[in-house]
Amino acid sequence: MFKFRFNKWYPYLLLSPALIVLLLLFLGGVILGLSQSLGYFPVLGLEDPTFKYYLEVWSSTEFLHSLAFSLFISFVSASLTTVIGVFFAYQLLKMRNENKIINFLYKLPIIVPHIIASLMIFLILTQSGILSRFAYHLGIIDEIAQFPRLVFDKNGFGIIAAYLWKQIPFVVLMVYTVLKQINGSFEAAAKNLGASESQVFREIYLPLTAPSIASAFIIIFAFSLGSFEIPYLLGPTYPQTLSVLAYKNYISLDLTQRPYTMVIAMSLTMITVILIIIYRKILSLISRYHID
Amino acid sequence: MFKREIYRKILIYALTFLFAFPLLILILWAFSGQWPWPNLFAESFTLEGWKYFIDPANGALESLATSVIIGAAVTFITLVISIPAGKAMGLYNFPGKGAVKILVLAPLIVPPLAVTMGIHINFMLLGLADKLIGVILVHLIPTLPYSIRIMTHTFEGLGDKFEAQARVLGAGTIQRFIHVTLPLISPGLFSAGILVFIISFSQYLLTFLIGGGRIITFTMLLFPLVNSGDRMLAAVYSLVFIVSALIFTLLMERVLVNPKQKTDHFYI
Amino acid sequence: MKKTIVILIVAVLIFSLPAAAEVLEKSWDEILNEADGKTVNFYMFGGDRRINNWVDTFVADNLKEEYNIHVHRVPMGPDDYLNKLLGEKQIGRETGSIDLLWINGENFKIAKENELLFGPFAEKLPNFNKYIDKDSKSVTHDFGYPTEGYEAPYGKAQFTFIYDSAKTAEAPSDFAGLTAWIKDNPGKFTYAALPDFTSSAFVRHVIYNTCGGYEQFYDMGEAEFKRTIQPAMEYLKEIEPYLWREGESYPATQAQLDNLYADGEVWMTMGYHPTKAAGEIEKGNFPESSRSFVIEEGTISNTHFLAIPFNAPQKEAALVAANFLLSFEAQYDKMIPANWGDFTVLDTEKLSEKQKNKFKNIDLGKATLPLEELEAHRVPEIPAKWVPIIEEIWSKEVAR
Repeated sequence: MFKFRFNKWYPYLLLSPALIVLLLLFLGGVILGLSQSLGYFPVLGLEDPTFKYYLEVWSSTEFLHSLAFSLFISFVSASLTTVIGVFFAYQLLKMRNENKIINFLYKLPIIVPHIIASLMIFLILTQSGILSRFAYHLGIIDEIAQFPRLVFDKNGFGIIAAYLWKQIPFVVLMVYTVLKQINGSFEAAAKNLGASESQVFREIYLPLTAPSIASAFIIIFAFSLGSFEIPYLLGPTYPQTLSVLAYKNYISLDLTQRPYTMVIAMSLTMITVILIIIYRKILSLISRYHID
Repeated sequence: MFKREIYRKILIYALTFLFAFPLLILILWAFSGQWPWPNLFAESFTLEGWKYFIDPANGALESLATSVIIGAAVTFITLVISIPAGKAMGLYNFPGKGAVKILVLAPLIVPPLAVTMGIHINFMLLGLADKLIGVILVHLIPTLPYSIRIMTHTFEGLGDKFEAQARVLGAGTIQRFIHVTLPLISPGLFSAGILVFIISFSQYLLTFLIGGGRIITFTMLLFPLVNSGDRMLAAVYSLVFIVSALIFTLLMERVLVNPKQKTDHFYI
Repeated sequence: MKKTIVILIVAVLIFSLPAAAEVLEKSWDEILNEADGKTVNFYMFGGDRRINNWVDTFVADNLKEEYNIHVHRVPMGPDDYLNKLLGEKQIGRETGSIDLLWINGENFKIAKENELLFGPFAEKLPNFNKYIDKDSKSVTHDFGYPTEGYEAPYGKAQFTFIYDSAKTAEAPSDFAGLTAWIKDNPGKFTYAALPDFTSSAFVRHVIYNTCGGYEQFYDMGEAEFKRTIQPAMEYLKEIEPYLWREGESYPATQAQLDNLYADGEVWMTMGYHPTKAAGEIEKGNFPESSRSFVIEEGTISNTHFLAIPFNAPQKEAALVAANFLLSFEAQYDKMIPANWGDFTVLDTEKLSEKQKNKFKNIDLGKATLPLEELEAHRVPEIPAKWVPIIEEIWSKEVAR
């Protein structure tokens, strides 16, 4: 009888539909983008690969400002998200009784898309928004203009706030799931031996969840770097994040400028690829502490 | 001990409130007429935005249907692809597994903007642009990684012993799949299905680029409203979106999840 | 038998002719016939709820009833649909997805130069021949660029400023007055980030008034142009500290600026439609005390148009739709401020007494300036080719 499942090709067969889609659509898109960024775009009549587009874009101040702006926003939001998320997940773990309402409410931001998250942050933080109105009634300000600039500002405050709102629940979910699986007897044993709360957290829970935390951080960082809607809707006129810059370039009406757009898009891709590599390095370092 | 418990409770309630509060603001704006600064409440209330939404001339309900159809198609295709893929990644070891792992993770990290702009012209050449099928295909890019990941973890957690046992007892391939595998992986299917649907439902940029204005999903109507600052209408459309997503989530939960299996484990 | 063969041959010949030429050869009745039961995909800027609604109700309902044509409005503006058409042209896509476009200015120029348009079709429209002054400069030229029948006039606009009479007793009467007002009221004025259509026009006003008038720009080289508009950029940088947020950021769209105005965050806004203030007051968005003003030196007036892409799948239906939009009924309904408030392109000379009176009797609202005043303070647009250059220079010099 043909022992199909022990055929060494079986796993590949199982994977083939997924591989076809991923290779054709995803990898294909990346490769095409790469070739377009190198100036090879036969449909537009550009046939000579060249690095000139890269040189021009990478040396332009607009690009560099956008790069700095994007990295700053992503780093700050990812760091804050991770710290607050882990803290919140840990507190949830330690709650005596599981509260169904809390469990439901905190997950809401996950199903809310970025567009709506932007709208909400805008309604709350803008100078004519809810917070500002509260400030007026509390006597803190008299005029609209006195309220600080929290959206459309050059520090990306509004953008970071939107990312925080959207991503903290995601981190909480990821980390809480892992935390719950950790055997409670570890903590009991440690407590028995005289460990304090913070020691228990630092020496037991933290190391065991570290891979998930690192995972979450990288995913959030990379995702926010490539994200478009929130910085488009809440960002300042200048600088714009890389994704918004790429989009604005893409819809410009001179198709021969398309390679410039693809350079920006490819630069974004390269940064995220570097991130994946760093992630794997960190993961292998941390796995020393991982108890399976 | 008690004090700590109270602080903890307050903290959690406060944080949860922060997450739910913005939605409250949305609800307020959705019914507000004139609401000048610095009023804490609107001067007048109106259902005008809701009437506008229901009016067939504005195509809102139609676009909602389009979004649901696309979401359902994407979910179905993704799950069908992810079950075998998850099985392969979760239960087997084979040369190149590491590379495949990266390939699966990559679309989560590489900006979809870059990928879509790259394949746009080719989609046009293939006649996929401006068509429903084109949009469905492009939605696969951000969704497959999540569902493959989830199904991989599901199968990993399951192990292959159940199937082996069923085979030993004489069950055929299809029987095994329907009566053994499927029920066992259904929590994972549920997680993956929900996530994939929400991601597809929420897509804007990909639908905009590949759909070319011909495929109007709900987000295509929502985005210009948020951008234009028509706050009342944007709030109305936003609420509709959230409620739709919630309804779908609850529906899926009813259909797919065995109540005894309900866990908080999302396999992410 | 012979007759059948002849008919067959003629039919084959007819069907093998290139489609575009064929459409223009048809009689209007044939076009009406062909258009029956078809859908027109109308791509237009979608940021104005009122205009959207007018197209979705009045236009759609009438086209359905009278011609059995279904109108599908797509909220996609020139930036995006031109990009789409350019791509389609490049890959040679003969059947596209857009039938009718709302367009003007530099966007028309790009479309025409890149051969993205079907035509010349304007003279094919019965209403064009019936009501339009074909020799008028505002019909033959768009931002100084010849239209050559590739676009049909749709409506007329004139740039106006809007202010809150409750906050400002007397509106500035000229450009110097406006500048003084901006400086006297720091943080209460701004304009949307270019390349927004309306704020781009605002910047053109600055150019007209700081660089020596508009006439010079018709005959100029690019390098000279860039030099000549420098004083305008200097001016914009000079007023920056007095703008909202000290010019640190500009509202992304005109709609957002309108919101700032409605909230009282700024005390002035602007628009291309003289009836904008009246319409917004009626909707309950702008304070009742809003009024419009123009400056002594004149504000820019232009015509906006309808065009048909080269690869429109339903060219006949598009023609019928365009023709309808040029009808008296449509032009009249369009001018009512509650519907849109867009001025008509119909030539008063060609109207009947009854029609003339109907237009005269439209209540434009307290906040709208009388037609005579608007006409007395009108200046034309400069050539379309300068607009993208202005926007680029603004981005580089002022936005940072």
